[in-house]
Order: sequence, then structure tokens, then C-alpha cells
Amino acid sequence: MSKKTAATAAILAGAMTAAISMAASTAPANAAKLKCYGVALAGQNDCAAGPGTTCAGTSKVDYQGNSWKYVEANSCDEVVIKVDGQPDRMGSPEPIERDLPS
Amino acid sequence: MTGVASGTESGTAGAGNGGFAAGLLDPDVEVPAEISGRRAATRRYGVYRNNVVVGLIDALKAAYPSLLVIMGEMNFARVGRHFIAAHPPRSPMMQDFGAGFAEFLAGFAPLRGSPFLADVARLERAWLEAYHAADAAPLTGADLAGLAPEAMAGLVLPAHPALAVICSDHPIGDLFAYRFGRPERGPDLAASQSALVTRPELEVRVTMVTRPQARFLGSLAAGQPLGEATEATLAAEPEFDLATALALALQSGAFVRPLA
Repeated sequence: MSKKTAATAAILAGAMTAAISMAASTAPANAAKLKCYGVALAGQNDCAAGPGTTCAGTSKVDYQGNSWKYVEANSCDEVVIKVDGQPDRMGSPEPIERDLPS
Repeated sequence: MTGVASGTESGTAGAGNGGFAAGLLDPDVEVPAEISGRRAATRRYGVYRNNVVVGLIDALKAAYPSLLVIMGEMNFARVGRHFIAAHPPRSPMMQDFGAGFAEFLAGFAPLRGSPFLADVARLERAWLEAYHAADAAPLTGADLAGLAPEAMAGLVLPAHPALAVICSDHPIGDLFAYRFGRPERGPDLAASQSALVTRPELEVRVTMVTRPQARFLGSLAAGQPLGEATEATLAAEPEFDLATALALALQSGAFVRPLA
């Protein structure tokens, strides 16, 4: 191992340890969000991504089964929407066939 | 379909569709000869032609919302028409349309006095491509924590599919922010800013980075091993702080786990 490579390795090792603790002390970038279907109110679904994808805010009915919102990972299954006089609705990580606009 | 007066100079849009398609993007082209029928067929072709171009300009506006605010509706539409004539859509997927806008702006003589526009377009394009990029689990500190020190220099970190590093001599970060509203005071156009585009938590994030950071992250993204990228960046930029740059890479989800 040449002197230069040894020096680089030492810099890297030190910086890596510092970087890992820095990254860990700030907001976790990896607590992933997931798409959760069937929980967005009409017109409040997520997604706006340029031409051809003007889908944000396009859901027609409340809790539309094929539109989604980003939620914290693992929280989608816990979403239960209670509306008086209607059966409970659960969130789903996959599109579902309920509350589709006619 | 014979005898069609397809007088278009570019001749690009008409492939396979004769003069009908060719005439759509160029108002100077005569209404194609095959357009006939009862009253007003040629006028209706004109209406259709206008709808096509307006639709494409709207698509361009949706893809470049910062430029739209910076340039203003009228100028944007005017430049957009030139772009559309030179670069008609090649793919049925509208998200692909507008890909060459930055290069077009860079070479568009009337805008030579505003060289920052092309760099803003590059950043806006990177945002859109990041949005549509494949999902991948980002590299975490835990992935690197167990690494032997002598293995670090040779480590090649694969770029996350959404990653882009945009270096610029213009204040692209401040100009990018125009999509959220025009500021009361315009940015210092002499300032240089570089940007890191990533998509942690499935949401596109644009982070302003220093030039040394951009250089380092760009080298890694291009496949340079960690040791080489570090040495090259330190040689060119003695102020470079490796730990901060690595932390930034981890926090922003710029890379994915190396194979094996």
C-alpha cells in the first residue's frame, strides 16, 4: 500500500464514521413512504409529475379505490376510515375495486 | 395519399403519415391536399393544428414550471413553438416529450443573453426524470458501518436510479424555486449553484450543494471508486469536507447498496 493510498484510506475511514453518525442523527431518509390506495378525499390524491401525468387531485370520489396518497410505511394497513352509515374502509398498498367513479 | 404538398422543412413529423402530420406543427405549411370534404374542412384542419401545438405547449409548461414563471407565459409559448417544430414528440408517453429542451435553449440564438435558462431546464428535466425513475432501496449508514477500512477506497457506489448531479455557473437553485412563486427580489445572476436531485421516501428532493460536493458526488455517480473520487476532489478542491459529503449522500438517498 503506497503512502498516498494509506493516507486516503485513513481519511475515508474517519470520514465514513463521522458521516454515518451525522446521517443517523438527522431525520431518517429511509423510513420509506408508501402509496396507500383508497384513503384520499376526492381531488386530494397525490402525484403531479409533468405532462401526461396530471393525476394529482383528479380523483372523483372520496376514498376512490384506485387513487392513492403517500403515507408512512406500515401505516397504510392501519388506516380505517369510518363514515356514519357506511361499512369501514381500509387502506390498501394495492389499487382496490371500491369507490370507483361511475 | 399522393400529391400531398408536404412542404415542411424539417420533414420529421410527417414520417408515415404523409402531409397530415407534417402540416400539424408548422403553420406555414399549406393545408394538406387530402383534407377535403364538405364545408370548412380546411378551416377545421387549422383548428386541429392549433390544438395540437397548444397541447404540446401545455405539456412543456407542465414539465418546466420554473422556466414558465421565469420567462413568462408569452415568451415561454413563443420559444415553445420553435422547440416543438424542431423536436416533435417521438414517443406516445408525454413524460418523454421535452427531453431536449435544455440543449435547444442553449443553442437558441435569441436567448443567448440568458445562458442560465438552459441550466434551469436541465435541473427541471432531472426533477421529472427522478420522479419517474425506478424505485430502489437507498444505501444506508448501516450498509457501510461494517466495511473494513481497506475495502473503502475500492468501493464503487451504484447511483440510485433517480440521482442527478447538476453543476452550473448560474444560480439554478434560486431560479428553480420560481416554480413556487416569483420572489420579490431576483437572484444574483452572477452566483454559481449546483444541485443534487434525489428521491428519498419516494419524493423528489432538490438539494443545493457546493461545487466540491457536486464534483465528488458526480464522480461517484459516474462509477469512480470512493478512494479515487476522494483524491481527485481533494486535489482540485482542498477545502472539500469528505464527511459532510458522505453524510449528504446517505441522507438524500443518492446511492444504492453495492453488489456483494
